[in-house]
Amino acid sequence: MSKPRLATIWLDGCSGCHMSLLDMDERLFDITERVDIVYGALVDVKEFPEDVDVTLVEGAISSEDDLRKIYEVRRNTRVLVSLGDCAVTSNVPGMRNQIGPAAILERAYLENVTINPQLPGPMVPRLLAMSRPVHAVVKVDVFVPGCPPSADLIHSVLDDLISGRVPVTAGVTCFG
Amino acid sequence: MSVLTLTIEGRDVAGQTGHTILQVARENGIAIPTLCHLQGLSDVGACRLCVVEVEGQRKLFPACVTTIDEGMKVTVNSERLAAHRRRIVELLFTERNHICSVCVADRNCELQDLAVEVGLTHFDLPLLSPQAVVDATHERFGIDHNRCVLCTRCVRVCDEIEGAHTWDVMGRGTEARLITDMGIPWGDSNTCTSCGKCVQVCPTGALFEKGRSVAEARRRRPYLPYLVAHEGRTR
Amino acid sequence: MLNLAQIVQSHALSFFYLSSPDLLLGFDSDPALRNLVGVARQTPDLARDGVALRRFGQRIIERLGGKRIHPAWVVPGGVSRPLDASERDSILAEIPDARERAHRTLEWFKKNVASWTEEAAHFGDFPSLYMGLVHEGGNAAYSDGLLRVVDSSGWVMADGVDPRAYDEYLGETVEPWSYLKSTYFKPLGYPAGIYRVGPLARLNVAERLGTSAADAELAEYRDRLGRYPSSSFHYHYARLIEIVHCIDVIDEILSRPDILDPHVRARAQINRNEGVGVSEAPRGVLIHHYKVDDDGLVEWVNLVIATGHNNLAMNRSVLQTARHYIKGDQVKEGMLNRVEAVIRCYDPCLSCSTHAVGQMPLEVDIRDAEGSLLRQVSR
Repeated sequence: MSKPRLATIWLDGCSGCHMSLLDMDERLFDITERVDIVYGALVDVKEFPEDVDVTLVEGAISSEDDLRKIYEVRRNTRVLVSLGDCAVTSNVPGMRNQIGPAAILERAYLENVTINPQLPGPMVPRLLAMSRPVHAVVKVDVFVPGCPPSADLIHSVLDDLISGRVPVTAGVTCFG
Repeated sequence: MSVLTLTIEGRDVAGQTGHTILQVARENGIAIPTLCHLQGLSDVGACRLCVVEVEGQRKLFPACVTTIDEGMKVTVNSERLAAHRRRIVELLFTERNHICSVCVADRNCELQDLAVEVGLTHFDLPLLSPQAVVDATHERFGIDHNRCVLCTRCVRVCDEIEGAHTWDVMGRGTEARLITDMGIPWGDSNTCTSCGKCVQVCPTGALFEKGRSVAEARRRRPYLPYLVAHEGRTR
Repeated sequence: MLNLAQIVQSHALSFFYLSSPDLLLGFDSDPALRNLVGVARQTPDLARDGVALRRFGQRIIERLGGKRIHPAWVVPGGVSRPLDASERDSILAEIPDARERAHRTLEWFKKNVASWTEEAAHFGDFPSLYMGLVHEGGNAAYSDGLLRVVDSSGWVMADGVDPRAYDEYLGETVEPWSYLKSTYFKPLGYPAGIYRVGPLARLNVAERLGTSAADAELAEYRDRLGRYPSSSFHYHYARLIEIVHCIDVIDEILSRPDILDPHVRARAQINRNEGVGVSEAPRGVLIHHYKVDDDGLVEWVNLVIATGHNNLAMNRSVLQTARHYIKGDQVKEGMLNRVEAVIRCYDPCLSCSTHAVGQMPLEVDIRDAEGSLLRQVSR
């Protein structure tokens, strides 16, 4: 049997969940022996591949680019995992939902600059009106809340998924 | 005062007339999740987390304000109840802005703990993301309405224990907000004694001591024995 | 100490996890294997040193702050709880191993540095200003220092600048094609006021680091590269020296008699409405500027981050690398990888620095002298 194909992707988050993934330390080598990492921050692959068994998604859906990517991920992924609070609840990126993108962009790019005040565009992905959790946009199979989820939890979730078990996170990890 | 017998979760238990299902259950070591309930304060049945099933009745009963009856058969744990409790916690989370990761009460929050207890891993309901303010006008304390779940523990402790009745609730539904006095800034209140009891009983990060950073809320529970001692007099 | 531990773990991540695949396996090697797993297969010891050094830093953060990611230990007025003796001893016990791994990696790098001469000459090798924090007397500062700006010949353009005056020296501008603002040195204007921050810049602005082993390495580094190395490729080398330095400073801090002092936090009310804080983050100078109202609620924030300081330099480096490696209209994967690798030298935040693209669509337009498009290559 070939190894499960694992991908990770980072949308609107701070990379803390990926850092926590790396905090598995030496267990990383064990995991990478048992899966093929086919996409993600640690491998040099530009296009999201087809036929991925498990994708860990960090971050909320905040821009048109996030939206495009998550559709592509969902299309090519068997088990989609929302990793961490931003993916699960929109968390800190969602704090802008009370304010709206226009006021934020104005503060950052028109007010707080010395020269050339202007709103970036059109080559940058537009921000969506609301930053939303991943499952508000596509179906999510496993939820792993936490800011970030601990390395131990990520390890046990991966271990379950690689071994064909359904990970249970209810009652195990809290938001925050 | 007569003794009534009933069953809770299939166990034969007894309690006195006028006692609540919650009281009798807890006396017998049967856990029922609660949020707005705090021993020593009057019960208002606001949060509905303690709902139980009573045999022969279709509707659910909040255990904190339902008194026991002779022969009552109470179910505390069922799939239906679990689903209701999960939904209640979800409603509390989605109604305001609960960002655990940056909250003063992170790791010290009854709402956060409840999510774990009822097995809530995400919200199916959309987040309402309401505009809510922080009132930091009081010298020592602040209130972040983003985190308030309207349990009214603060209202009750202020009224029933401190006797000040600085806190109350204004508005209805999702518009309901805690207010100090007649809706003036907390720092301008002339009824507030600055005793801090409201801060100590708050289950979330809504009421906080100034100067506390993320995850630094500490609820000083030494207040509780005092509240419990008081209970005998209110009943 | 928390900041130094963060620098160790972050530098380990940058060097071992992200850049060592290029250095060890080759910029032109098979991209499918050019990653940490590939490194682990070829030289398991190097990969394990990287994991161990990162863990060393992360564990210190965990011991001080309660958790590895987002510790909420640093608070206004100090830190939220003191260090206890057992935690101190646990950290001290891990230092010799970390030190050995850091030196081993540095030796490996120095042994191989000659093989990257071409990259070193074209990965952003140009004169610019450098900015970093220094202590009085010229030692590198990672916190509590004053800003110094020097140019590539060592001319001091600004010195002893109180971080609170940052906006007299630094201007910010917006480009329509990026959400990342670019920062420039105001006295020279935009875009002439291009400067770099981070490991390379810190070693350039400081006279010395202040620990003996690292200063010996710094002397050798300057012997090899000159007093003010100007190629961004040398960020790697500087980073490894900084790991050595930070480990030794952590050792020094833990050996101070007052390290277990329980008085770790001052409490105060709102005394003023504005404040600026500056530190050296792993990637360079980090400025936080806040305004609060009389009740202490934040009303306005400006953060000037390392990647913003380096933005102009990164763009210029990409241009230089592309011009050198992309010849004619034939483009090989390894050429494009070098264009990404030059960005990795600066170690900007993970998404931009990593191999994971789609996140960073790289498109190279090859045009003739009149500017008409010959070919567009993307990866």
